[in-house]
Amino acid sequence: MNGRNGTPAELVIRHAYILDPSNGLDGIADVRIRGGRVAEIGDGLRGTRELDADGLHLFPGFVDVHAHWRTPGREDEESVESGSASAAAGGFTGVVMMPNTDPVVDRPVVVSGLVRRVEKESRVRAYVSAAMHAGLKGERLTEMRLLKEAGAFCVSDDGLGTASAGVLRNGMLYARSAGLPVILHCEDHTLATGVVHDGVYAALAGVPGSPASAEDAATATALVLAAETGAKVHITHVSTALSAALVGFFKDRADITADTTPHHLTLTDGLIATLDGMYRVNPPLRPEEDREGVIQALCESILDFVATDHAPHASEEKELPFEEAAPGFLGHETAFAALYTELVLEGRLSLPRLVEAMSCSPGRWVGEGGGISAGEPADLALVDLSERWTVGRETLLSRSSNSPYLGRGLTSRAVGTIVGGQLVHDRTGAKFGVRA
Amino acid sequence: MTRNFLTLEDTTREDLRSILDLVRAHARGETGSPLAGKTVCLAFFEASTRTAVSFELAARRCGADVISLSEKGSAIAKGESLIDTVVTLDRLGADAIVLRHPAAGAAAFAARHTGAAVVNAGDGCGQHPTQALLDLYALSEASGGFGELAGRRVAIVGDVLHSRVARSVIPAFQAAGMEVALVAPRTLLPQDSGAWRLPILSSVDEALLWGASVLYMLRLQNERMTGARVPSVAEYARFYGVSRRHLGDGVLVMHPGPVNRGVEISGDVVLDGSSLIPDQVAAGVHVRSAVLALATGAAHEVAA
Repeated sequence: MNGRNGTPAELVIRHAYILDPSNGLDGIADVRIRGGRVAEIGDGLRGTRELDADGLHLFPGFVDVHAHWRTPGREDEESVESGSASAAAGGFTGVVMMPNTDPVVDRPVVVSGLVRRVEKESRVRAYVSAAMHAGLKGERLTEMRLLKEAGAFCVSDDGLGTASAGVLRNGMLYARSAGLPVILHCEDHTLATGVVHDGVYAALAGVPGSPASAEDAATATALVLAAETGAKVHITHVSTALSAALVGFFKDRADITADTTPHHLTLTDGLIATLDGMYRVNPPLRPEEDREGVIQALCESILDFVATDHAPHASEEKELPFEEAAPGFLGHETAFAALYTELVLEGRLSLPRLVEAMSCSPGRWVGEGGGISAGEPADLALVDLSERWTVGRETLLSRSSNSPYLGRGLTSRAVGTIVGGQLVHDRTGAKFGVRA
Repeated sequence: MTRNFLTLEDTTREDLRSILDLVRAHARGETGSPLAGKTVCLAFFEASTRTAVSFELAARRCGADVISLSEKGSAIAKGESLIDTVVTLDRLGADAIVLRHPAAGAAAFAARHTGAAVVNAGDGCGQHPTQALLDLYALSEASGGFGELAGRRVAIVGDVLHSRVARSVIPAFQAAGMEVALVAPRTLLPQDSGAWRLPILSSVDEALLWGASVLYMLRLQNERMTGARVPSVAEYARFYGVSRRHLGDGVLVMHPGPVNRGVEISGDVVLDGSSLIPDQVAAGVHVRSAVLALATGAAHEVAA
């Protein structure tokens, strides 16, 4: 990670249960970290600084390719500092920041400014997604090659989608020439006219619904165009069974990856009955059949990874009826715990597949982290799988508190997060110091 | 014997050499008035300045009677279809019809409906063979002869997708034995950019690394400078424009005109010593004289 002062001292993590499917690690061992990298993995390693991780699990750090840190413009909701603290508290060591800020991240000067703030303020590795079209308006391409030189990692029109297939196609072609991956939020605005999923609960509650086709039709278009243009495309927050199946169909026909979110894997549109705008999110929570389809696709690696779509909102934007509430949930701090509690403990998803989906695959996608092996950066998450805790405003490090899991009891929690060999989140009790 | 000039796609190296030899004879004024008694009709269904002017000048210098139809003030402006215009000119006794039209394939279509020789002066995104010939002529004169072109590397930079010039210079340069690469973002290339089986490069810098000694810059239409295919002039100029830092080592810069200064070519390069642009313009009349002479069958009498 950039901006770090000096080389972190050596650290030996002892007796952790190491699980890293990408390197075939599945058992208790010690890890020596030196110079910010994993130096060796073995038994009986000793060092001047030791962390007794008996009873804890050690995973490659989680990587979240979809987050809104509201910087620049809405630092009252989240900043690079608070967003990265929130990410670190959830075991994340890498995060991609979405460009729908104010101003939009659509010019090289905004990208370079953000990169500088990340160097100064972020506890984790943070990657800048720039806009694909100026102002996210879906008309004029952004200067992708200059954005890349300024430090952009990928491009996206997240939150809005791209209105016209013709414009999207040119965007993909240009992104391919610029050598930038594209993250796509697939939503057809001629279909998405409501605020919740258009199903039984929307009908009963009288809240305007958007049909699943709003996502499915846009996903199909995006996949066809990805195949035709050869662009590297990532479909984010897949929330329907049909969209997941479409992704599966295109898996070998295009350079694509896809993610789904913890909330679409654990919650359903039954929450519309609460009439609480807290539960408004885009894409909306879906019926149980869609949730089942998405879980299945994640198990089968049709959906490559989990991304949180961490979307902080001030309380005045969420404590409203559905139709007036801003869409979006916090995600970083509850992602692993919610999935472990609701899917792994319920026997729906294996722990190795969850680690692969939260660490290995997204780590490969960003090209950093995602594995524990000698010589690689020490980006690690130390997790207590037995800790039970209740999500509350006081447990959240985010500046906002719009978590759909508020008040819920979850099992498992990150107790230590290490980025480049440094503890950036520390609840281990060992107190080696959290980097400011 | 008349001959159409519709495309350079199937032109051989020997063919090119003999055409360029004739161009040289015209340039030296050794050809007299080969078109005396011939009628050349210029039918321009699309605005043109330098092509129209140089064809007219060429025809007149060679002694032809010239009829000029432009989109304004003619039956073309009244919406007459291409086929009717061509048949009319044919019956009026045109020996050659020089056609500029906004649709690709218009010249070949016209040729099927007239006994006059059809010279394609640019049809849509199709072909512009006399442009490619004058480019080859200017380049071979600057390089010490047609034979010197073989083995040299030329990068064609810019809006290949919408360019009839690209579709003519690619086969022309290849027939001359040159190696060709394309430099463009994928938004300005055909979907199947392997159509010509040419390397695709991502910037002028990369073209020079590849070994290009000729940079053939294509015009970027104003309406395409900022939009769905190109983000900005700044980014385009940075990666697909030629500036002074690219010059040296005998690199030559070409452009079919009109140049957008500061877009395809920085202002201080347009008339630099490494720019062949003035030579290209100067070659226009000689090339078109030679082509009209060949098209009407007047040339071999001169050459003999």
